[in-house]
Amino acid sequence: MTEQHGDAPPDEYVEAEIQRMLAEDPAIAEQGITVVCLERGLVLYGEVESPHRREEILRRVAERFPRVPITSDIGVIRTQAPSQVEELP
Amino acid sequence: MIRIAAVGDVHMDEDVVGRFRPALDELPDCADVLLLAGDLTRHGSESEARCVAREFGNLGVPVISVLGNHEHQCDEVPQVVKVLEDVGITVLEGNGIVLECAGGRLGVAGAKGFGGGFAGRCASDFGEPEMKAFVQTTKDSADALGRALRGLECDVLVALTHYSPVPDTLAGEPLEIYPFLGCYQLGQAIDSAPTALALHGHAHHGSERGTTPGGVRVRNVAHPVIKQAYSIFHLGDHLDRG
Ligand SMILES: [Fe+2]
Ligand SMILES: [Fe+2]
Repeated sequence: MTEQHGDAPPDEYVEAEIQRMLAEDPAIAEQGITVVCLERGLVLYGEVESPHRREEILRRVAERFPRVPITSDIGVIRTQAPSQVEELP
Repeated sequence: MIRIAAVGDVHMDEDVVGRFRPALDELPDCADVLLLAGDLTRHGSESEARCVAREFGNLGVPVISVLGNHEHQCDEVPQVVKVLEDVGITVLEGNGIVLECAGGRLGVAGAKGFGGGFAGRCASDFGEPEMKAFVQTTKDSADALGRALRGLECDVLVALTHYSPVPDTLAGEPLEIYPFLGCYQLGQAIDSAPTALALHGHAHHGSERGTTPGGVRVRNVAHPVIKQAYSIFHLGDHLDRG
């Protein structure tokens, strides 16, 4: 899923602030999301436990930084039973 | 042989309830125990703990857990522990338990652990009181884990933590944050006992496999790392041969 928001160029402080917001905003509380600053804007990537959380992250970040172009590449972690066992002799 | 299922960092809330259940329903056929490596919730609230209880309670196999840093966010640790224990989940912190499995006695010692960093690149007990308190937390947690491991009488001994005992399983994380992801003292504690396997979570971008300096196998079972409902490990083959 990829979405773009806003048009202003990001800077390093915005990157730091988003990183902290992802962990500290009670609606998000994610420490496993990486914020990468690319020429076209900030890219968020990592994995979350539900589609709802992925949407919430994007919504909150866009709300707080409406002028920063954000691209999301966040996945929802699969929960299938394992197909293999690790033998530890 | 003893069959251990394990996962960490499931970060439950209402929106996740039910996602793990189909895979968990298969557990009685393929595992003797399920170990949870902390960060069971998002904020450590009592209501999120109830989601954990619904998902991971009454599985038909014993469930043993440690807490993660996320369980401390709301300052409701006693309530969280109670909700989990009420559905039969054992919560370890500086102690251990021995389970009689079909393949032998499995000992599990657990502690959340803490950060601090790894040999040569770690925090030291020096300077400001805040720094000393940080390092003291690291030491206390590792000491408690070591004592718990050495105190168990069993055939197969497993260490369960949230923070990592080795840097190996952090590969993929930025080097700069390693000191917040684990500490070498946990590895030292694991090596102070005849530990067969060490399981941890916390490092969502880390990697699966590592080894302590003493040769104990370490596995990062954080859900974003294993990308499946749980991993299964078979240990103690020697027990079958008598
Ligand atoms: Fe986590
Ligand atoms: Fe964690």
